[in-house]
Amino acid sequence: MGDEQAAIQVIDKTIMIELSDKFPDVVSDVDVPSPNRAIARIDPSKVHEIMQFLLDKGFDHLSCISGVDYPPDKMEVVYHVTSYSGPLVITLKASVPRDDPNIDSLCDIYWNANWYERETYELYGIKFNDCPYLKVLLLVEEMEGEWPLRKDYAGYPNPT
Amino acid sequence: MTHEATQITSPPKPSEMLLHLGPQHPLQPGPFLLDLKIEGETIREAELKIGYIHKGMEKVFEDRTYIQILPLTDRICYLASNSNNDVYCRGMEELLGIEPTDRAKYLRVLTNELCRIQSHLLGIGEYTTDVGFLTMFIYMVRERESVVSLLEAITGSRLNHNYARFGGVAQDLPPGYKEMALKSLGKLKELIKSHDDMMSSDSIYLKRTKGVGTLTAKEAGELGVAGPPLRAAGVNYDLRRLEPYLVYDELDFNVITQTDGDVFSRVKVRLLEILESIYIIEQCLDQMPSGPYKQDVTPYITRPEPGEVYSRIEDPRGEMGMYIISDGSDKPYRFRIRGPAFATAQALPPLLIGTYVADVAAIAASMDSCTSEVDR
Amino acid sequence: MGTFVELYDGIMELLVVLFSTWALAPWVRGVLGGLVIGAVFGGALVMVYLERKFLGDIQSRIGPNRVGGRFGVLQLIADAIKLFTKEDIIPAKADKWLFIGAPIVALTSGFLMVAVIPFDLLVINGKEYAVAVSRMDISILYLEAVSGLAIFAIFMAGWGSGSKYSLLAGFRNVAKMIGYEVPLGISIISVAVMAHSLDIVEIVQAQSTLWYIIAQPLGFVVFFIALLADVGRIPFDQTEAEEELVAGWATEYSGMRWGLAFFAEYLHAVVGAFIITLIFLGGWNGLPLIGNLNIPGIFWLIAKTIMVIMLFIWVRGALPRYRIDQVIDIGWKVLIPLALLNLLWSTIIGLIWA
Repeated sequence: MGDEQAAIQVIDKTIMIELSDKFPDVVSDVDVPSPNRAIARIDPSKVHEIMQFLLDKGFDHLSCISGVDYPPDKMEVVYHVTSYSGPLVITLKASVPRDDPNIDSLCDIYWNANWYERETYELYGIKFNDCPYLKVLLLVEEMEGEWPLRKDYAGYPNPT
Repeated sequence: MTHEATQITSPPKPSEMLLHLGPQHPLQPGPFLLDLKIEGETIREAELKIGYIHKGMEKVFEDRTYIQILPLTDRICYLASNSNNDVYCRGMEELLGIEPTDRAKYLRVLTNELCRIQSHLLGIGEYTTDVGFLTMFIYMVRERESVVSLLEAITGSRLNHNYARFGGVAQDLPPGYKEMALKSLGKLKELIKSHDDMMSSDSIYLKRTKGVGTLTAKEAGELGVAGPPLRAAGVNYDLRRLEPYLVYDELDFNVITQTDGDVFSRVKVRLLEILESIYIIEQCLDQMPSGPYKQDVTPYITRPEPGEVYSRIEDPRGEMGMYIISDGSDKPYRFRIRGPAFATAQALPPLLIGTYVADVAAIAASMDSCTSEVDR
Repeated sequence: MGTFVELYDGIMELLVVLFSTWALAPWVRGVLGGLVIGAVFGGALVMVYLERKFLGDIQSRIGPNRVGGRFGVLQLIADAIKLFTKEDIIPAKADKWLFIGAPIVALTSGFLMVAVIPFDLLVINGKEYAVAVSRMDISILYLEAVSGLAIFAIFMAGWGSGSKYSLLAGFRNVAKMIGYEVPLGISIISVAVMAHSLDIVEIVQAQSTLWYIIAQPLGFVVFFIALLADVGRIPFDQTEAEEELVAGWATEYSGMRWGLAFFAEYLHAVVGAFIITLIFLGGWNGLPLIGNLNIPGIFWLIAKTIMVIMLFIWVRGALPRYRIDQVIDIGWKVLIPLALLNLLWSTIIGLIWA
């Protein structure tokens, strides 16, 4: 139990301060809405370094990657990163331009990013650079390029 | 673990052949395609293709009001419908700024644990048929019936219970429920112990499961799995303990872990978790306070403040998360479902490499994936 | 009981008269063969029904209970009608003749085995007559040889179906049977050594004082396990492991063609049960010490066979399935050494006894 307690204490909100100190211009809008949740915005170009930093700090579990569409000009890639030894979930949001959405892949840091990235790609059209086998996962292959979860999607085949 | 492990990278050599398990295959209820490149009976490469029952739930939810979404969360996976209701309601409660009543909290823990028991029972049952042990499957289904009846007595349905509500639950316990539940669960406890004994002493069963599909703690962490497969590898990761929601911090229970991480341990974890869940339910029934089981006014038309929430729960299969973004209207702006079976399914192909075709069924079923939830 | 025994004796006497006067007439053999095949066919049907009911009991369910009263006795007829009326599909990629031939070969092998099974031995006017379609000097050897044909059937089906599941099942079956025919053969030889004969009738007669299950229990165990593998029942049903290979070698079969293949398996199991009864459980002899209590030998034989069939079903209900490599391991590393040990034992005992 002692080790467990110690581990839980490491995985706490001070990581957000460390994160902002380490990447001062990249991390912004840090918010801690509840004891176990923390939210921050990050610069999409630095997502790889930030995740590597978090992994080294013990955030070894990538919970989820989601896309969010904010027409007309931006999209967000939302990462939920947490740890196997603590309750804190860090939500990191990276805004990407809607006309050419792309962001670095995390597959070489978190193994399980692969399917989440493929899913986000097929539903939103956000390209993950260097993601191995970036192709449709859930949809049929003919639907690649439809991006059905975008807000302006009007049914298959998409007229937009 | 490399990503090559999840794909079939080259066409088969003359000594190899491609074997397609699925989409229609007795391996699992629910279609998926498992492509195997085999040499003799040994698997060289494996690739899992999903999406055969993709329902587009995330898109559907964006077009439904919050209260309309509630029954749909049942349909993510029928075996975990109580957990799915609960994780959604807890997310909405956080967005709406309300708190469930004390009795409702206990009722939700109670139904969640009953849901865990019946899911584990069917999971173990499916798994035992996959090693050719049909008798055990039928025993497990028989035991599950009693648990489903207990759920039916509370929620009114045997499947897709739709029990939790924002700030409360749908209805209170029926009269005489405690005695009925204690009697039924006491019997179940004895039966589970006897089945556990039968499974751990059968030499053929041990031969089929010990050291098969081994996942070490490090690998399991890298693959991002949670729930019983992770705990079987010895990682003490249980959201009920780590991030105590509802009233789990007031209840006494152990997080079940095993050390080997093989097929046998994964099933053992489930069996022991059933006993642990029964213990939790007994405490719930004892400690449950009287009082209202729902809010005075149930908010039917809800317009939460703009904001976002990521709520998660220890599903029978692992970590179930829902990420809800509200823009102030009566429909969610974005609804993301992070299912445990999705993560588990992704981790399946690397586990299969180097094993035999006969082990595919045992390993896949011991991971207890659910196609309905994977495809959402 | 008395009248019953008299009736039985009367029928047998009639048979014997037929035998002795028309022994060489082909039509007598033909009629008798038809009768015996019909009887064993019926036996296989009974086994299917027993399996459903008894397995149902083991698994705490009811089993067939709709067709033909509450015990579902007509369920098999309903199944047969269903199978006969279903469409017969031959896959486009199948090797047509192999595909069609496989169930026929399987069934033929079963029927050929039935030909030498003796059901009773009658002594009339000091002459011995075995109630069998054909009595051979080397009948046990012949049985072993003919049962081997079934392997061809499964491999024909496996290759001819043009399906990968079937092919894998065919391979599995060949790999398995190479390992298991050897201990099966050695156990049979042990029995023959002890009885100083390869004729089943004489082997049974040699057990009138002591059953061979008592004289060589190890041999019985080896033979039983190898026979389970031979007839492909749990825990040795890798050739049709449902969750791995859908239905194994029978995946592509449909309608009555599947029915025949399915039936051939049960026929083999029934014949296997007969062989166990004949060479280890004293055949038509009564219980040791008690004697046959004036009950005709054929009833003893059938009662014991049903017990063995129940044992098959019980094993199926109680055990999971081995993996194919483990099966082959057991065959080569456990059963063959044990069978050889048993051969040594039975040789020594046989010499002393003689």
